[in-house]
Amino acid sequence: MSLAQPITGTPATIERRGGIARLGRARRDGSLLATILAFAIAAAFALPYLYMLLSSFKTPVDNIALPPKLVFTPTLDNYRAITENDALFRFLRNTIVVAVGSTALAMLFAVPAAYGLVRFRLRWREGIAYLFLVMQLIPAIAVVFPYFDLARRLHLFDTVWVLIVTYTLWNIPWGIWLVRGFIQDVPRELEESSMVDGTSRLGAMLRVTLPLAAPGLTAAAILLFIGAWNEFTLAFFLTTREARTYPTSIGFFLTHSGILWGEMFATALIGTLPVVIFAILVRKTFVSSLSFGAVKG
Amino acid sequence: MVSALTPGWERARRSHQITPFLFIGPALLVTAILAIAPTIQLVRASTRAWKLGQPLAQAKDVGLLNFERLLTGSVPLGHSLKLTLIYAGVALVAELLLGLGIALLIDRALAGRSLVVTILLVPMILMPAMVGMIWKLYFSQEGLVNWALSLFHLPQPNWYSTDFALSAVILVDIWQWTPFFILILLAGLQALPREPVEAAEVDGASRWQVLHSIKLPLLLPLILITATLRVMDLFRSFDVVFVMFAGGPGNATETLPIAVYRTTIEQQRPGVGAAYSIILIGMMLLIAWLFITLLQRYRTEA
Repeated sequence: MSLAQPITGTPATIERRGGIARLGRARRDGSLLATILAFAIAAAFALPYLYMLLSSFKTPVDNIALPPKLVFTPTLDNYRAITENDALFRFLRNTIVVAVGSTALAMLFAVPAAYGLVRFRLRWREGIAYLFLVMQLIPAIAVVFPYFDLARRLHLFDTVWVLIVTYTLWNIPWGIWLVRGFIQDVPRELEESSMVDGTSRLGAMLRVTLPLAAPGLTAAAILLFIGAWNEFTLAFFLTTREARTYPTSIGFFLTHSGILWGEMFATALIGTLPVVIFAILVRKTFVSSLSFGAVKG
Repeated sequence: MVSALTPGWERARRSHQITPFLFIGPALLVTAILAIAPTIQLVRASTRAWKLGQPLAQAKDVGLLNFERLLTGSVPLGHSLKLTLIYAGVALVAELLLGLGIALLIDRALAGRSLVVTILLVPMILMPAMVGMIWKLYFSQEGLVNWALSLFHLPQPNWYSTDFALSAVILVDIWQWTPFFILILLAGLQALPREPVEAAEVDGASRWQVLHSIKLPLLLPLILITATLRVMDLFRSFDVVFVMFAGGPGNATETLPIAVYRTTIEQQRPGVGAAYSIILIGMMLLIAWLFITLLQRYRTEA
């Protein structure tokens, strides 16, 4: 509610808000102190991240200085050093391939399944949805060593394929739960009227429902992408060299002469920037999807 | 009889036996294979004295010895169970209380709510591996955390020591996941019906009474669901703990997921690791059952 709202407006709108008598109360609903505190808290949560951003432009000497230097001569040396690191570049390429590939594969399976769970009157509909949810809850660390063994036997170890495929165990269920909510928001009647005109079930889904749910599908895809982009456990144990991904590059910065903090900060920043931008794009659906749809964002 | 004049949706309803499976079946099949294949492997491995790299079929069948080792042997299940409960319990309570308090505060902000929400999104979506690495630096003896403590003349512990490593891991989780509670509970607060709150205010109820008797009871289902979701992630959390301390020093941060890694890789006893995994999955199923019960009750109410 904005500051000016209770004061301005026609008598009719004031009446709708509860009448003149409650104006003072409506105004006390928000407070300046709460606003200032809210921003202070947000700043406190942002601080470790902002400090990382700052440190990525510091020289090794400035980086270990105490008290921390807030004013310093910025350098691009850290970024220069990591762009010259061929392995890191390969890791980044692998991460993009794995994140895009596993998201596309998961959506290919999740979208029709979510549609089916919403639109067909099945006896086991809820049960199947919860079965997917339970599979999404399997801890990665519990299955990664069996996957390690299976991947070796199938000659998939240390390939991007093993990550693209195994990620779908979590991404298909997660995708189904996300997409289900967005399909529920599309009125059934729109589809039924087009099916009266002779469109098939598949045609109705592809030409009526999915285009209307497109913003939601995009948000779901972005959320799956973020998860795959950040994934560490499977990537760490199922790859060694060729298919290694960006989050597993942390070992690079532990050298015999100490830890290369500046380069690590720069690497972390490059690795998190795309995800931060994506998350801001989908922030409206982010909250409702975090809660398995328990709140609408 | 199905004729050309029968409406499309009517035709679809009659052919419903096979069509739904064409939509749902593929997803179910893929995820089932990906879930069942490793589970079978875990069950087989947990009954064998298996060495990594050796074909599982050649490993000696030892019955339930691996599970007995969890209770009596050198790998203490009780210890990791205790650590997991402390880690999850402390982080959950702190995040829930902080998150609820901050959500109530932001709910009363006059402006800038969407900017605050956007800023709070960031910690949750950062790469866990990088989060662990960066906080490990901040927690070092000469790091930012101890420098900040020195400003207030507070003791500066050695966060890398047996006594404090778990606290450091918990603090990182609180930083990263308190926003989870803030954002969901804030959305819940803003979706609350206005009438009961306004009616109580007209009747002269204090802010505390409104919170205690109206807002919190209405918010309770959401609080429970969010808390259960968080517990499920805390119980299987591996990456940040692994990157920060990998279970050490000693076994000070050896939670259940870390114990799976340590027995399998460090101690080269994947059979015992499999037994650990099965117990971990069992605990997840238990919490999942609680979660589904809550979700179902809440949905029928809504």
